[in-house]
Amino acid sequence: MRNCKFEELIDDYLLNRLTENNKEKLEKHYFDCPDCFNKMVERDELISIIKSKGDIIFKDEYVTEEAKGETWLEKITSFLTPKQWAMAAASACLIFVIVFGVIPNLKTTSPRFFINEDMVRGGSITLISPVFETHVFPSQFEWRKLGENIEYKIYIYDNGDVLWQDTTKENFIVLPEKIKKLLSGEKYSWQVKAFSPEGTLISVSSKVQFKINLHE
Amino acid sequence: MATMERTKEAINIEEICTKYRPIISFRVKKSLGASTPEWEDVVNEIITNVLEKLKKGEFRGESSIGTFIYTITSRRIIDYIRHKSKVLKHAPEPAHYPDPQEYIENKERTELMANAIKKLKPKYREVLYLYYYKDFSREEVAKKLSISPRRVSERVNYSQKLLKKLI
Repeated sequence: MRNCKFEELIDDYLLNRLTENNKEKLEKHYFDCPDCFNKMVERDELISIIKSKGDIIFKDEYVTEEAKGETWLEKITSFLTPKQWAMAAASACLIFVIVFGVIPNLKTTSPRFFINEDMVRGGSITLISPVFETHVFPSQFEWRKLGENIEYKIYIYDNGDVLWQDTTKENFIVLPEKIKKLLSGEKYSWQVKAFSPEGTLISVSSKVQFKINLHE
Repeated sequence: MATMERTKEAINIEEICTKYRPIISFRVKKSLGASTPEWEDVVNEIITNVLEKLKKGEFRGESSIGTFIYTITSRRIIDYIRHKSKVLKHAPEPAHYPDPQEYIENKERTELMANAIKKLKPKYREVLYLYYYKDFSREEVAKKLSISPRRVSERVNYSQKLLKKLI
């Protein structure tokens, strides 16, 4: 006997698992299909009895088993399917081989360290003036002295490009008369780098921005 | 015209009542809940409405009589739910007192079924337990028992057949 295609929806309908659309289709269908309707009534009765009397019906085996609780081994094994367990074991083996077998044998080079301009050895250089905004033309640039026999290199930047640079052993520098490129209303930045007598970079100041505002 | 005559001939009022009352009742109970005290009144209203419409010749045979009754049933259920939510939004449900005879019959039948389920083989009982009592999906039951979802449905259907034999 060929089964009606709606039969497979009966359980989901009774367990409220059907979409609204399928629910409507099935409801419409069983008004015309006595077979489906009878099966639905029978199944409904079975489900109702199991729902209401299940604790008694299944008391001896499943319910008591559950009350006892699963053992830790059962809990772990039921967490994944055998296939998933196999995959997990294979992945663990692979990781083990990579960590303990492959990585130690790789030819690794010793780490090499470079001193670049952003790395400093001593204390940082504090820039004193000019900073932020100045109402007079900044003819002198001053910073805090780091020690004796230290050579300072000063840079003035305009939009990241070096506008002017010079070297001194003092903790200030006077902008030469011929370098009067700084314009009122513009923003510039400056930075000082300190070098040891051997010529090693020992400290770099942060880049400090300043604005010349002669009109106020 | 000929269709209409044939339709009228074919529709027997008694048949409507005997054949469709259980179907309408089932649909109404499922929608309103069997504990709703008025469900029987709603069913009676639907049947009266169906008969009236048939007498007036509103059923023209364009669809099946089943679809015609389904439509009237669905509309009445929607009306009932709308009315109920509007009027009795906060009113408590009156208790439902079942017919004592019906109650005893149902109880006996339930006991019979419960005992029959206990007599089933474990492989059928465990499917019923997981699928209906524990509310697992077909796929979840299949996974737990290491069988296919199709086999789950087959076992449920076979359990039902066995239960019919046992009762």
